[in-house]
Amino acid sequence: MPTRQEVAAFERPDFDWDEWVDRALGEPAYADRMTRIYMDLLRLEPNLNFASAPSDLLRHEVVGPDGKPVWVYYRENQRRMRPETDGEFCLDPDETGMGVRPRQQDVQSETRKPKPISQKLLDAYTVLVKPWWLYRDYLGANPQARFGSSGWGDPDPGYKPVESLLADDGKPVLAVRVCREEASSLAMGHVFARRMTRVRTKAAAPPGDNRDEPAGGRIRPLPVDKPYATKHQGDEVSCATKMALEYAPDCGCGPGLERCLPGDANNGGSAFTFPNHSLLGEGVSLDEAKQSQQRWFPYWWSREAVHFLEDLFAGDRDFREVLTGKQTFVNGPLAQFYGTIQRSNCCGPEVTFGMLEESEPLFEPSRVPQDLAPQDVSTWKSVGDRGPHAAGLLTMPIFLEKYASARARGAALYNDFLCKSFAPGAQPLAPSTEPNLMIRPGCRACHAELEPMAAYFARVEAASFVFLPSAQFPVRSTACKLDANGRLNGACNALYDAAFADSHSATLRSAYGSPEHADATPAGAAHDLVATPEFAQCAVQRVVASFLGRPTTPDDDPLLASLTQRFVRSGYRMKALVRALLQSDAYARTNDERAP
Amino acid sequence: MRATWLLAFGPMAAACASPPPARVPAQASPPLVAESEALADTAPKHDLRLVPPEVYLRTYLALFGGLAPLDVQAKARGADRAQIFDAWDDYVSALGLPDYRFDIPRQTRTQALMIATFERLGVALCDRAVEHDLEADAFGTPTPANERLIFAFDLPKEGELDAAGFAARFDVLHRTFLGYPSALAPPDRVRRFYRLYQEIVLNHAKADPRSRFSPPHAGWAAVCYGLVRHPEFHLY
Repeated sequence: MPTRQEVAAFERPDFDWDEWVDRALGEPAYADRMTRIYMDLLRLEPNLNFASAPSDLLRHEVVGPDGKPVWVYYRENQRRMRPETDGEFCLDPDETGMGVRPRQQDVQSETRKPKPISQKLLDAYTVLVKPWWLYRDYLGANPQARFGSSGWGDPDPGYKPVESLLADDGKPVLAVRVCREEASSLAMGHVFARRMTRVRTKAAAPPGDNRDEPAGGRIRPLPVDKPYATKHQGDEVSCATKMALEYAPDCGCGPGLERCLPGDANNGGSAFTFPNHSLLGEGVSLDEAKQSQQRWFPYWWSREAVHFLEDLFAGDRDFREVLTGKQTFVNGPLAQFYGTIQRSNCCGPEVTFGMLEESEPLFEPSRVPQDLAPQDVSTWKSVGDRGPHAAGLLTMPIFLEKYASARARGAALYNDFLCKSFAPGAQPLAPSTEPNLMIRPGCRACHAELEPMAAYFARVEAASFVFLPSAQFPVRSTACKLDANGRLNGACNALYDAAFADSHSATLRSAYGSPEHADATPAGAAHDLVATPEFAQCAVQRVVASFLGRPTTPDDDPLLASLTQRFVRSGYRMKALVRALLQSDAYARTNDERAP
Repeated sequence: MRATWLLAFGPMAAACASPPPARVPAQASPPLVAESEALADTAPKHDLRLVPPEVYLRTYLALFGGLAPLDVQAKARGADRAQIFDAWDDYVSALGLPDYRFDIPRQTRTQALMIATFERLGVALCDRAVEHDLEADAFGTPTPANERLIFAFDLPKEGELDAAGFAARFDVLHRTFLGYPSALAPPDRVRRFYRLYQEIVLNHAKADPRSRFSPPHAGWAAVCYGLVRHPEFHLY
């Protein structure tokens, strides 16, 4: 809405409409307005959770030597050398008097009551750490710049750890107590195998039969050695990976716990205060809420998309970059995420295929600016090239997690960037066991289009953003084949599709619609889509509908055609499109009714 | 007792005992006869352009003096327990904004709830602006003219406001809320708002119990309400 000063300017005889429009197109409100069109369309809002066992630090209370409660941070499924606590909380039930289970109620029993733990045991199995969320200089030998102290007196106003992480019983937390394994700052650990058979729990054993029962009263059986562990015991493994949590007891959260995110409870609890809604931009929030650790990164993923789009529109870049651009923007939390945390998302079943750590990530950690600390939430830095597989919004975590399956991703492309929708025909849905939906009666009308689109995303794992390189994961792999029962083994089944497998080989999941598209990857999807005439037509349609405040109709076709021509001729520049739209009769006519 | 039992369960027992009803054969229904013909209007309907709610929010933030949303929330709510505003969080969907916590997309059409919610915010703005701009502080000092947010004019110290005096002051509000001079508005707009102002002033002078606003202040508050409810404000 114009201000009184702007209204006064309109009245001046020398008012220049074109100049005013040009100036308005240079203001942040323009980029904000345009960004909203695509954020609404794609719904890239932070209503997601990112759960990664290696990065989630839970917190449980034990009774300290003096009878007072002590918080201890730990990771779910952390490998430990002690059989009493391997894969469990680092203090066993006999020591604490409580059966700690991650994200669940403690196991209670009549004979077991919480009891003070000795200082000796506490010191043996836990350690005090000055973590990144409390200390700006957490990488130093002796961190001093504590949040809110004179050493770090001007923390970023958007960086707000919840009070329960900052103070305990009214006193400031100066260091946190962490299980010793989690506190490890090693970069590389070692594969560990216990080389023993599965051990029964107390509950599974008959009364009085204590054979094989592990000491300490542990609740769950000991973790079973995986085939890779028995074959590669002692081999080095990167502590930044998901694999490290499962294989290496000497791997932890890294220096200052920077590979982990804190939570203030045993179920994760709260970590930071930030808005649910940032509809008016950062720092202009409509609310403030304590949020869980699992919402922290999705919030910043969403902001990354906003920054990417705003840069696209403010800089009047070629709009095709919305899909093809390799650039992005990161702040401190995203630098932490892309630099370290995202690596903890891999690898599980991929290990069987020889990928111990993501080898071709969509955002290469080496491209992350080194001068951003995790607490720098308001400082955004440009990254010119995320890596060879980067493709605009399509390879951002917010898109890949919001649209978790290959089909959902393909459908989003089809709907949002080509303005096409899937309309099933009138074919009857006859019973069929045909796995190929491109030919199955009743399905093919939509899936003949959808499956090839989905295939572009076959190399990005579902509900994840782990990239599967063709070297280890060919579209048709002879390493995976159906067994005598017509099944694929566990690791193969996770990544290859038993419906498109035989006794010799199997097809990568989601790739059957088009093996060529699968190898083209999302970057190929971007390249192919922007080359279609529908891409420009759709972009124009989106913008016109938003500015007119209504869906376009066939009556608008001449306007859309002329605007599309102008848009393409300008090199896909949105400002040329918007300028032409604002000068059109259709726009001027849209709201010309005046109430008395 | 027996009679009651028979009354209650008799029909049920009889129904269970009777044979199942015979299958009713399908019968072709007679063809529908057209009673009249009407031409379908297939012309596209052009709705008024809806300005995105973010525009209104930013406008309100500016009108409240360029405050942050949470500060506006605190100010709109006030400390008088009038409950003229709650919290932004309560209004996100009602304002037409997307709320993806619950997967609610942006409302693409103006609807009554949206307008009513903005009106509520507008009424809060008007009331707080009267308090801020027109009423003197505890020491009897009026807000300096250059610090007034909405009512950026002086009121006559004595006597009634005549039509010309009203028109000049109304123009300030018209520009603020509707974005153009009142001289360009339909010719009877100023007159109609002046009549509204006069009626409110008159009624408030007779009000019992007395309003918390003086009659002229209540009159200007009503003019303000009229503008924040005006279709041109909502469909700018």
